Amino acid sequence: MPSSEKLERLLNLTAALLETPKPLSAAEIAQRVYGYPEEKMAFRRAFERDKDDLREMGIPLVMSEITGTDPPESGYRIPKDQYYLRDPGLEPDELAALQLAAATVRLDGIEGAGGLWKLGGRPSDDIAPGAGPDLAPIPVDARLVVLFDAVAERKPVTLTYNDVERTIDPYRLDFQRGRWYVSGYDHVREDERNYRIDRIDGAIETGERHAFKRPATGVPGARLEPWQLGEGEPHAARVVVDAHQAAIAVGEAGSDAVVEERADGSIVLELAVTNLDGFRSFVLGFLEHAEVLSPPELRDDIIEWLRALGGET
Amino acid sequence: MSRLTASERLRRLLALLPWVATQEGPTVEEVCERFALETKDLLSDIALVSMVGVPPYSPGDLFDIVVEGGRVWVHMSPSFDRSFRLTPEEGLGLVAAGASLLAVPGADPDGPLARGIAKLAATLGVEADEALDVDLGYASAAVLGSLQRAGSERRRVRIDYYVHGRDEHTTREVDPYRVSADHGQWYLVGFDHLREEERLFRVDRVVAVEVLDATFEPPEEQRTLGLFEARDDDPRVVLEIEPEAAWVAEVYPVEAVEPGADGRLRVTLAISARPWLERLLLRLGPRARVVDVIGDDTLGGCAEAAARRVLARYES
Repeated sequence: MPSSEKLERLLNLTAALLETPKPLSAAEIAQRVYGYPEEKMAFRRAFERDKDDLREMGIPLVMSEITGTDPPESGYRIPKDQYYLRDPGLEPDELAALQLAAATVRLDGIEGAGGLWKLGGRPSDDIAPGAGPDLAPIPVDARLVVLFDAVAERKPVTLTYNDVERTIDPYRLDFQRGRWYVSGYDHVREDERNYRIDRIDGAIETGERHAFKRPATGVPGARLEPWQLGEGEPHAARVVVDAHQAAIAVGEAGSDAVVEERADGSIVLELAVTNLDGFRSFVLGFLEHAEVLSPPELRDDIIEWLRALGGET
Repeated sequence: MSRLTASERLRRLLALLPWVATQEGPTVEEVCERFALETKDLLSDIALVSMVGVPPYSPGDLFDIVVEGGRVWVHMSPSFDRSFRLTPEEGLGLVAAGASLLAVPGADPDGPLARGIAKLAATLGVEADEALDVDLGYASAAVLGSLQRAGSERRRVRIDYYVHGRDEHTTREVDPYRVSADHGQWYLVGFDHLREEERLFRVDRVVAVEVLDATFEPPEEQRTLGLFEARDDDPRVVLEIEPEAAWVAEVYPVEAVEPGADGRLRVTLAISARPWLERLLLRLGPRARVVDVIGDDTLGGCAEAAARRVLARYES
């Protein structure tokens, strides 16, 4: 079928379902909306395809019971409050900044132009000097879109991770070290957990919208430092790093970890250690340019580890 | 006739109609440019929309959109005078792109981008910094800023660079072609005048930058570079590792993996420099045994030597 004929029908259908005061049954749509074939089976096929197309575009096509019908009959409508954009009231400089961001950061497989059009922006405006294309390509998988919608609409999700099916209230998404993570409340574990999105098995099922509340206190993102991966009570470990490696250590541990800057340029970091392997690996990565100061048991662990390597002096 | 599908055309129209409705008769050219349309496609879409309306399609129920004197006017299109909401994909695209730029060291946390993202996120039902965070990697704002500025002005830089694999500090002049973030790290691609070749540098290992007066022309085509590309004549090490250290095969660029006895793995790795091997062996500790070193006799016993150096620090 020519795409114009179908486009005209989709526009008519969208307008009719937006403006109708009560849900329209399939029979009413067949009768009243312009552009559908008269023959019953042909109508069914066309209408099913149109519903799929609208839903795929994200148009909220809602099916509900038509009040006052007996036996009860179901009908369709597009609720205006779910269809229309809530105007964020962007100032011109804010819109321009968003345009620049969309032009600069490439999210693999995500079409940003449509969103900018709706906000009144222009997707292809000139890019400011110095911010060339592909500043930061970011990988995206289709499930990230599903999870973003679930976070925004507060829909619980059911997914398989490490061969276990879990139901999670997704609170937030984080992109760290080149990977996406989702954090949320795991109903099976009865605890807040983080999951690597690329390790989720298969598709994600979503539940009803507005089904949970995000904690008012805010949600910590995924904790990914190698020395924080374990469970249990953390040890507060102090590590001194020589001056010429200090910047690298701060890069890895974060500036919050710095508790002392010495006159010779060396720094002391304090790390909350729950994973001994990860901690050892971090410290030994500096070779002889770093030293564990405390607590004694972590210091002794490093000494023993090195002695086991044949480093007896 | 346009080759777009009906859905693609619908998506565009649902953005175009509200925009035209809020303007004072934009020109056909203006609409075409903004929505990336050919004139004939715009005109055929307009002709089509003027046939659309709501049941029962009496004259007052039809949408009124016309082209007069090269301008587009929407007089009445009640259903489509406001935009259709952002889809999750569009919302994610804009919020994540914005959050990424906000994460660039030196970005203004109270600037227009931060305000725009906060407003947009609020209409989507999320608080921007609570629900989505993008961390592109650590870099000093001063270093990153200088490199980006020098790159856009095509000025050469002199950098103090820490070569991690060799555990040594170097000073070199570089033509900075491009700065970008990938997989949680910031990288500089540029022509290295010390080695006289195009190289990839990690921005977090650039200790200081001085922007020089010399300028450069970037090449038409840039190569895709890796941080370390093994050469055939690089020395190789063969390790036998315990099952609990099997992560080595995932994390390091191993050239061969063979099963050994008792669940152990036998892996072969190219050695970029001595300190690189020392770090690896210290991290693995008693969980790895060096089976063989090929191509450099001085590397034998390097784990013991490195362990003694580090221990000396603890025992002094």
